[in-house]
Amino acid sequence: MFELTPEEYSAMMLSLKVSTWSVIIILAPGIFTGWLLARRNFIGKSLLDGILHLPLVLPPVVTGYLLLLLLGKQGFFGSWLYETFGITLAFSWHGAVIATALMSFPLMVRSIRLSISTIEIKMEQAARSLGASAFNTFFTITLPLAVPGIITGCILAFARSLGEFGATITFVGNIEGETRTLPLAIYTYIQIPDGSESAQRLLVISVILAFSALLFSDLIERRTTHWIGAK
Amino acid sequence: MLSLEVQFQRGNFNLEANFALDNPVTGLFGASGSGKSTLLSLIAGLANPDKGWLNLSDNLLFHSAKKINIPPDKRNIGVVFQDNQLFPHLPVNKNLQYGYKRIEKKQRRFEMLEIVDLLEIGHLLKKRPTQLSGGEKQRVGLGRALLASPRFLLLDEPLAALDQGLKEQILPFLKRVKDELEIPMVYISHSMDEILHLTDHLVVINNGRILGTGHFYDVLGENGIQGFASTMGLENTFRATIVGHELESGLTIANLFGNHIFLPLSKKYIIGKHCYISIRSSEIAIAKQHIKHISIQNQIKGKIFHFVPNETGITVYIDIGGPLVVNVTRKAFADLELRESDEVHCLIKAQSFSCLGKILD
Repeated sequence: MFELTPEEYSAMMLSLKVSTWSVIIILAPGIFTGWLLARRNFIGKSLLDGILHLPLVLPPVVTGYLLLLLLGKQGFFGSWLYETFGITLAFSWHGAVIATALMSFPLMVRSIRLSISTIEIKMEQAARSLGASAFNTFFTITLPLAVPGIITGCILAFARSLGEFGATITFVGNIEGETRTLPLAIYTYIQIPDGSESAQRLLVISVILAFSALLFSDLIERRTTHWIGAK
Repeated sequence: MLSLEVQFQRGNFNLEANFALDNPVTGLFGASGSGKSTLLSLIAGLANPDKGWLNLSDNLLFHSAKKINIPPDKRNIGVVFQDNQLFPHLPVNKNLQYGYKRIEKKQRRFEMLEIVDLLEIGHLLKKRPTQLSGGEKQRVGLGRALLASPRFLLLDEPLAALDQGLKEQILPFLKRVKDELEIPMVYISHSMDEILHLTDHLVVINNGRILGTGHFYDVLGENGIQGFASTMGLENTFRATIVGHELESGLTIANLFGNHIFLPLSKKYIIGKHCYISIRSSEIAIAKQHIKHISIQNQIKGKIFHFVPNETGITVYIDIGGPLVVNVTRKAFADLELRESDEVHCLIKAQSFSCLGKILD
């Protein structure tokens, strides 16, 4: 009864691929930005903070359209990419990764920033006084202690990526096997006659995926808070 | 050894300090908010002065004009924090090794085993910091700082977070470190008692200014810091000699300026040795004559040589072989018709005396 058609299966796998890649590419920048906002004071900090949060508050379609204007084949930056490297992001799954990454980046940063700002600066100072450089202190003290926040950030970003619709469909379209992720596939099946069975199967898949992500994050978070010795 | 001249401003708080330290242990004494911890941060390099210089054993750590600023990890100055700041994600042995493994073998002054034995923390090595008691954490924090082989050690109120019983358990370890390891150190505290356990060389700081440096008596005495002793409740601090014990009556007898005084019996008082005793000026009563049938054990005869009205009453100075400061209300002063050169008896309960710091030789 519950057997996915090749199209449905490919939508699911594509969603997983796009979401995984989007988390991978924003992880390092997310940690850096989270640290920057938690620990440093610099001119333009609130501006950076505001720009980072734009994808959370803008309609996703607007974000997708902005991406198209910037990175589309005729776009400001996209045309240069195409002419120099022959890369096209629009209407490819790479573009879908860019769109979902941008949409989930603020969630990742918020979570990491919060967890870094709860680490006492004195603890880092203790490490410095024991002979660790600033760089070394970051990797041996700050980063390990921020792990629970980083994991939460990853799960949030992953879940946000799974559900991303507006920016993706605007920027990279709805091409089967290339950019048709789960939400796009569900949307498509709802539009066509006899599609409701497929749509419902994908609905079940979506719920399972989202729920497992939550359970997984809960498990990992408990493990890591135990591991770093916090209560 | 350590000398400095620094200026530092953050918001409304302004710190200016200029002093040189030459003793194995110096107590940095001041109320909370006086700038003690800021000064520590400046010495350790955890914050930078706006202007000035810092010199440790002919080694410039910081010089604003010469643009010298050695980062904290290159200063080789150990810090023990009030709240220990053990790394929660590392077990005790990894905490201890954190500084140890970051210095070259030939520069290591202590080995793990040595410090673990000295501080008696061998049974804790595999535990997590969260599994330790407050006193154990503080010992591990101290051990971690020592194992980085510092050439100078800063202790920032290491006992402040512990209750009295624990304090007395940790103090002997601090004394051991001082006596056996020969690392010059600055002990920061708002408790004169703690400081006097380790040293009587002081730097006194208040409101971002250094009020005085030197021996306890010089800082506290008449030529010391104006008004300092009384604001700290140390206006009557004397060096007394222990004379004997009266076991049945539960008293220890000491000699103070030729008077015999009675202190609560304690085995820490060793006959023939000295100690600092202190009594607050408001806890002394004055009587015109010797009073019979009274529970107060000390009635010391003296002569009024001076008195000064203050906001709340009158400060009376009585010569008991040395100057004793007594605070009485205006009414009491008038009722007794006190005058200069009057002979009086100073009434002090044995329990009102406190013994500060260690027993001296």
